[in-house]
Amino acid sequence: MTIRVTSGMIHNQLIRNLNNNYNRMSATQEQIETGRKINRASDDPVGITYALRYRSELSMNDQYQRNITTATSSVDHVDTVLNQINELLQRAKELAVRGISDSSSKEAREAIGKELDGIFKQAVTLGNDQVNGKYTFNGQLTTTQPYDTTTAGTTDTDEASILLPLAPGVEIQTNISGNSVFGASTDADNVFTVFKELRDAMNSNDSNAARSAMERLDTRFNTFLGIRSEVGARANRIEMLDNRNQDLNQSLNGLIAKTEDTDIAQAIMNLQRDENVYQASLSVGSKIIQPSLVDYLR
Amino acid sequence: MRSTFHSLETSKRALFTQQAALQTTGHNIANANTAGYSRQTVNMQATRPIEAVGMTHSTAPGQLGTGVEFTSITRIRESFLDSQYRSNSQDQGKWSIQADTLQKLEAIFNEPNETGIRTLVDKYWKSWSDLAQDPENITGRKILRENTLALVDAINLSSKQLVNLEQDLTSNLDVKATQINTMLENVSKLNKEISRISAYGDNPNDLKDQRDLLVDQLSKIVNITVTDTDQGYEINMGGTNLVAGQDYNPVDSAGLQGAYGTDLNSGEVYGMITSRDVYVRDYQRQLDTLANSLANGQFTVTIPAGSVLPDGITLNGVTYNGASRTLSTPLTVPVNGINELHTMGYTLQNPPTAGVPFFVSSNGGPITAATIRLNSIIADSPDAIATSMRTIGTPEKVVPGNNTLALLMANLKDTKMNFVSPDGSTPVIGNGTIDDYYRSVIGQLGVQSQDAKRQISNQDAILAQVDSRRQSVSGVSLDEEMSNLIKFQHAYNAAARVMTSVDELLDKVINGMGVVGR
Repeated sequence: MTIRVTSGMIHNQLIRNLNNNYNRMSATQEQIETGRKINRASDDPVGITYALRYRSELSMNDQYQRNITTATSSVDHVDTVLNQINELLQRAKELAVRGISDSSSKEAREAIGKELDGIFKQAVTLGNDQVNGKYTFNGQLTTTQPYDTTTAGTTDTDEASILLPLAPGVEIQTNISGNSVFGASTDADNVFTVFKELRDAMNSNDSNAARSAMERLDTRFNTFLGIRSEVGARANRIEMLDNRNQDLNQSLNGLIAKTEDTDIAQAIMNLQRDENVYQASLSVGSKIIQPSLVDYLR
Repeated sequence: MRSTFHSLETSKRALFTQQAALQTTGHNIANANTAGYSRQTVNMQATRPIEAVGMTHSTAPGQLGTGVEFTSITRIRESFLDSQYRSNSQDQGKWSIQADTLQKLEAIFNEPNETGIRTLVDKYWKSWSDLAQDPENITGRKILRENTLALVDAINLSSKQLVNLEQDLTSNLDVKATQINTMLENVSKLNKEISRISAYGDNPNDLKDQRDLLVDQLSKIVNITVTDTDQGYEINMGGTNLVAGQDYNPVDSAGLQGAYGTDLNSGEVYGMITSRDVYVRDYQRQLDTLANSLANGQFTVTIPAGSVLPDGITLNGVTYNGASRTLSTPLTVPVNGINELHTMGYTLQNPPTAGVPFFVSSNGGPITAATIRLNSIIADSPDAIATSMRTIGTPEKVVPGNNTLALLMANLKDTKMNFVSPDGSTPVIGNGTIDDYYRSVIGQLGVQSQDAKRQISNQDAILAQVDSRRQSVSGVSLDEEMSNLIKFQHAYNAAARVMTSVDELLDKVINGMGVVGR
């Protein structure tokens, strides 16, 4: 027996098929409109867990990037100040060399003493350097001024380091303590002590004392150069992290795109195909539904 | 010996019978689009032939036909397909509700999205990291406060939406119970009416269609078995009798919930209870666990050397006070959540003040998704956010530039923790990061929703197929009715023509005969 087909069946089937086609079209359209092929968890339950992780990582990377920017500017700033200190040390060295020369007169030494006094004060000023209202060289005691001109050689700065996370599990120190730059209060070659001694020696025309101070200036200079190169190395490391972070950003963006984003070309092709099918089913439907025997019997 | 007017009677019977057939055809056409209608046919039968009445058996050959009559008008329907339809309809009902609920859950969690909980959790960690860059500054604290408020608001809102969904499902159960009772009452009434009419030997076709339609609709709501008895349909839900003849046993939502998993095992009502008790409550629990673990989840941190612990704090069974508070070596301790970690550091305030628990419960009970709040002390004054773990000097002062606690907080993003659910039940995953946990919730929801969508689309297809087979048997075909119409009309016309010819014949007999020579 052949199956009996009634108009109700055709009608229902047509509606069902139109509905299915329409749904498919709307899903493709959603993909194109949002630009995403995962618009809700059920679109791709496995994909979404990856998508969420990539998004989190990307977002955290963004934070690392900000921390890197902060770290870079801190380290760059420290480097600039160290450069200025370097100039002071060099100038002091020149003056000391000139001052200890036997040919220097008392007046000349007094003049050198005056300039050294200026250099000493400038060193204290640099030691109290501030960025964003925070003292650069006082460790974590960023709100406490580390030095003043009367006690500069006998005070110690905070040695604690300020760390910033620049990558997962990687924390980098962004500051450098005054003690390591200028010397601790116990160090014989403390910059401030040496500058003062040198100044006083010049003022009192005491070339022996000046010679002894100059030797200590030399050891400090060597220590200082070591610190500078350490800061330089740190800047390099931050730059490397910066590059790596940007690479990671790019690859994460690529992964997100792959997991989440609609392949627009393909989606548009699909939409076109869905539209064609929908149109076809509409036109076929209109042909099937209308005529019945009623139309032909007169 | 036949009567003179015998043929008139035969034609009359034919006219009446064909007219009945035409009328039924008209009824079929009229009901072509009536839900639940099954086409009806007029069953015709030749009437009893005449045995000549007389003292002796007539010698006339054969038996003389006396025309046609219709013995019954029956509906064409296959009860096997009905039971098949009903057993599929209940599964379709179950999955449609479950798929619908899961879609609503997806909308509540709304991932992937730039305003979802995941994004806000990220912002929360990022704020701590920002704060670590500049712990002395009030701005970073205010940003952390705002981001924390946004996060707890989002968790509160999601929880509220889940509660609303749960309440909707519960109140829908009442609606469904009322709907079921109306149907049961109508079926029992129809049972009564049908048995009354059947007692006369008639077929109450249209009433039976109505009853079957009601049962179809009922089968979508709860799982039922239908038995056709002398008293009418007997309807059972598992072992529970719903309709017996003219009586019905009304249901209520409490009874339906009591029957859940035993007598009640499919249909929309089953889907609603599953949606509420399995899905919605599960996600509520998971969200509660997320909220509580954010505040109290257990993890291990290493406090760097040089940190000064708040006076009198007890960590890992050791109480720190006086000089012992300053750590000479790094200390690795288990910590109960952000809340405890926050009490291990100092705020910006002097004299040094230890942090307060970061999150609190709005009602003093355990911290859940509904009750989690930012501690009002912090909300009122962002200074109360602790970032430093170091003090110096006498009198003791906080070192504001110390960012140890802020760093530890920011690192929690990647720290695995033990999740703790507020009600003490076991969380789905025991050990992972907050992100891992949230991802697993969304992943689970995705799988469940995808599965429900697939099930519902399968059930739709199966149901459509069964319905199509039913339509094939019972549905009205206009083409068929039109050709029947012609067939019956021609039969009617022909019978009328026979009557006309008998009329002429009689005219001849009555008016044309016996008038010879007149």
